[in-house]
Amino acid sequence: MSLPCGIRNYNYAQDMAIVRTRTQWGLLLALIAVVFTAPLYFGNYWLGVFNLIGITLIAAVGLNILVGYCGQLSIGHAGFIAVGAYTSAVLTNRFEMPFLVGFLAAGLVSGLIGIVFGLPSVRVKGFYLAITTVAAQFIIIWVINHWGLTGGFTGISVPYASIGGFVFRSKTSQFFLIAGVAVLTIFLAKNLARTRVGRAFIAIRDNDLAAQVMGVNLLYYKLLAFFIGCFFAGIAGSLLAHCYYLNLNGEMFSFTDSILYIGMIIIGGLGTSLGPIMGVVLIRLLQQVLLPIYLVPFLESSFKNLPSGFATGVTPMLFGLVIVLFLILEPRGLAHRWALFKSAYRLWPFSY
Amino acid sequence: MKSKRFIITVIVCLALILTLLPVFGACGGENETVKTLKIGITTPTTGPAAEKGRPMGDANLDAIKYINEELGGVNGYQIEVVWIDSAYDAAQAVTNVNRFMDENCLLFGTSSSKEMTDVKQIANQAAFPGLVCFNAPSLHRPPQHIYGLTPDYGDDWTAFTTYYMENIWEGAGKPKMALMLLNNSTGYGARDAARAAADDLGIEILWDGEIGKAFEHTATTTSETETLTRIRAMDPDVIYISSTPAPTSVIIKNAFELGIYPGVTIGCGHASFTKALVDLAGADIVEGVYGVFPTVSWGDNVPGMAKLMEYAQREHPNDVGNMDYITAWAQSLVIAEVLRLALDNAGYDAIAAGDAVAWKVIEEQGIQKLDGYDVGGLQSPVTYNEGDNRLGNSLRIFQVQDGVITAITDWIEAPLVKYEEFSWFGQ
Repeated sequence: MSLPCGIRNYNYAQDMAIVRTRTQWGLLLALIAVVFTAPLYFGNYWLGVFNLIGITLIAAVGLNILVGYCGQLSIGHAGFIAVGAYTSAVLTNRFEMPFLVGFLAAGLVSGLIGIVFGLPSVRVKGFYLAITTVAAQFIIIWVINHWGLTGGFTGISVPYASIGGFVFRSKTSQFFLIAGVAVLTIFLAKNLARTRVGRAFIAIRDNDLAAQVMGVNLLYYKLLAFFIGCFFAGIAGSLLAHCYYLNLNGEMFSFTDSILYIGMIIIGGLGTSLGPIMGVVLIRLLQQVLLPIYLVPFLESSFKNLPSGFATGVTPMLFGLVIVLFLILEPRGLAHRWALFKSAYRLWPFSY
Repeated sequence: MKSKRFIITVIVCLALILTLLPVFGACGGENETVKTLKIGITTPTTGPAAEKGRPMGDANLDAIKYINEELGGVNGYQIEVVWIDSAYDAAQAVTNVNRFMDENCLLFGTSSSKEMTDVKQIANQAAFPGLVCFNAPSLHRPPQHIYGLTPDYGDDWTAFTTYYMENIWEGAGKPKMALMLLNNSTGYGARDAARAAADDLGIEILWDGEIGKAFEHTATTTSETETLTRIRAMDPDVIYISSTPAPTSVIIKNAFELGIYPGVTIGCGHASFTKALVDLAGADIVEGVYGVFPTVSWGDNVPGMAKLMEYAQREHPNDVGNMDYITAWAQSLVIAEVLRLALDNAGYDAIAAGDAVAWKVIEEQGIQKLDGYDVGGLQSPVTYNEGDNRLGNSLRIFQVQDGVITAITDWIEAPLVKYEEFSWFGQ
């Protein structure tokens, strides 16, 4: 970890600490204060948007472990989220099990399904592996749409999340639940990357043959990456079902969403702990708020002579343009841009 | 080093200010607000159903403009619309409805059954009344807080099949019908009706393998040749399509190319039977295709048509001739009527807050008081019958004749089917 000038690590604990300096502690506390007091100054609409961001973040962190750290390209993440959502929904609706059982089962079942679809990763990689994960997306949604237990195309209704008699009915309570799980997920992912497992993932990503020669068990670690990535997708799906949709159908987990998840982690920065956060916040705010709520009314009120539907039609184009510009101008993602900014800030006013 | 400390101090101060914002907010005085009737409308103006969503969004807003500017609003109160594109996306639709509730809208409207399917549980849990243009049985059976302005997709199938049996089928025995359905509530309304009533109507359904499994397609399909080839092998007499215009046009074009049509009869549900279908498939190819629709045709001699056509010509000339424009215009008129009834029966103060109490008033004193509102003759009169959340329950059979969608029957009333009483419903 790069540290400011004059800060040194004198023992192993200091070297392993995530938060090291007083500045970092101050910023972290300020961030926590802002995040956990957000329900005080935001209405239900904004809390709903934050909840969606939080759930997306959990799934994106999982995908980042799989793609960013371990280098296993998966374009079926929405399918794995669907597995989690439906596992939780079926257990709580059809079998009347508690939410917590559904929540954990969602992660486990999704992780196990991830292992099944991850098996080809032992023999194929890159675009070939991507195609197998695309197949996962379509097979999973097909099964969901044709299985009586999941409600088929009609869908299945889902109860609110509840723990020990407390029902997460309000957007505020849902926000705290989702924020708590998201923080825990980020913390786990951050630490995972620094463990033996994380280093094995990175070794496989950088050169799997070299990693194998060094004694890294490719089968074990690749499937472990699939399990962890899909486990996070599963718990995100559970939260999506119990705190956001309350009613599921297969169309809510589209192939477009799977591509969007890949876009989020690429724009944020693959293989970084900060990347998914930045990517998810940017994409979700653009998609859910900035373009439809602010840009369209602005265009329509400013340019009265625009043809019908023009302003609305512009938004998908702008959305695509933003993604393309990011990929061209900052292919290493927002996290890299942030790292450059921090370096410049530390060295300021010197340019070297 | 000093500047660094300064920046950190600024960041911490900003965090503190944000934390204390609610306290500052609580100290402020109340703003004087104009009394309006706020409603929420979401339409799929972009995305895979944009060919329907765009004209419907145009019509919703044009009708509200007409009500506000020419009729002086509702009982003197202007209607304020919070309109947001849903892009036919579930997450966006939920975000939109959260916004409507947060902005204290009195009710909300959606164009498509798919959008309403995505948000129905959120709305039902909050008892936030919603009015959907294109309706499916799964949205209102069992009835809760979602109301359909038109008959549902199941009613389409029943009306078309009844017409087919009485006026088109001339063979002996049971005719064979293949169902080509969009893989969402639009398609599955027809499937449910077919399962419930095919035997009673004397028609045999050609299922795709197991009973209850129709021939499905997606909203983005580009070819249905494979499915149609399998259907042709089953020797159908009639193909019924319940989908949106783009996929329906693909199916009919493929059927034309394979020589299936003309030959078999093709009937369409109302989600696709609009000018967009004729434009997309080509008038010569869809000639003779039957369809069902819950409104009058463009230019029909009914009281509400002149103003609708005037606004379409002036505000959105591209929408002229599009029957989806009529449906959504009628939706806005019904919304205005609901607001008028609520104002008459409960007064402005009862709904001013736009909260859960106001939503209850809107539902009980507005929607459930609808009794024979004629909607300018644009659709069948709108009435609430207890236990039936279909506010309009009549439709007509149309046929493409010389490239024009032409009505060939008078209004046919669709009976209520209590789907929830069938064990397979929702499974």
